[in-house]
Amino acid sequence: MSDPQPRPTNSGPGRVLVAVYGVFALAACARAAVQLTTKFNDAPLAYLLSAAAGVIYIVATVTLARGTATSRRVALTAIIIEAVGVLVVGTASLLDPPAFPSATVWSTYGIGYGFVPLVLPFLGLAWLYRTRPGTYAH
Amino acid sequence: MSVCQVAAGTPVRLGLVISWLAYTVVALTGVMMIWGLITAAADKPPGKAQLLFAAFVELVVVVQTLIASANLVLGFRPAEFATTIGYLIGIVILIPVAWFWANSERTRFSGVVLAVAALAVLGMTLRLLVLWTPPVLR
Repeated sequence: MSDPQPRPTNSGPGRVLVAVYGVFALAACARAAVQLTTKFNDAPLAYLLSAAAGVIYIVATVTLARGTATSRRVALTAIIIEAVGVLVVGTASLLDPPAFPSATVWSTYGIGYGFVPLVLPFLGLAWLYRTRPGTYAH
Repeated sequence: MSVCQVAAGTPVRLGLVISWLAYTVVALTGVMMIWGLITAAADKPPGKAQLLFAAFVELVVVVQTLIASANLVLGFRPAEFATTIGYLIGIVILIPVAWFWANSERTRFSGVVLAVAALAVLGMTLRLLVLWTPPVLR
């Protein structure tokens, strides 16, 4: 007999995941706010991507922390965008360094943050898979 | 120019007060992080002493931000003004939020949540220290 309710994403190790997402939401948003207000014209694309990263981290933090069936779906979308984002921006920042004059969270795959931004979306996806509907909570 | 600042006295001297306070924060958050990981490894939620210690760390962080803000008001200008303000606000927010999040589900993972916040404050304080210290004294 399978459980129709998914296991909450905001319990057990999920709480650590939410905490890490929260730290990155703060870091990315603060960084984007500084970049957009003080030197937007230096690298508009990089800074807008920085702001987008901040928004995605906020969405992932809130939806993982809520842990309802609906928020799981939103979290999945946000985390997939995050994974694509870090890979695309990471690669673009290596191929076209002048477009990324000062680091964003995703530059060089998040090297300024110990590559945590590169690992985080895959941990997020793994956690959503582990807590998928039909699995038992212990 | 740096020599003039040293001669003028006040801003640089106040800056040095921040340096040792920042090193204190680095040491305290280091202990807080290790403590969180130890209780997690022992499969225990954070104890009362540990939570009080986290509150004490927050107190020191708040004092640091207040003194730094006073310095900024008095005219001290670190390397990146906007970024510095971002860090000063960020370091004050993290520990209280993590404290609440760690306590709303008390398991071994609560300690890891505290450790994550401690590591983030530690990293931001180190960065703040670099921005804050005049090049001549670095």
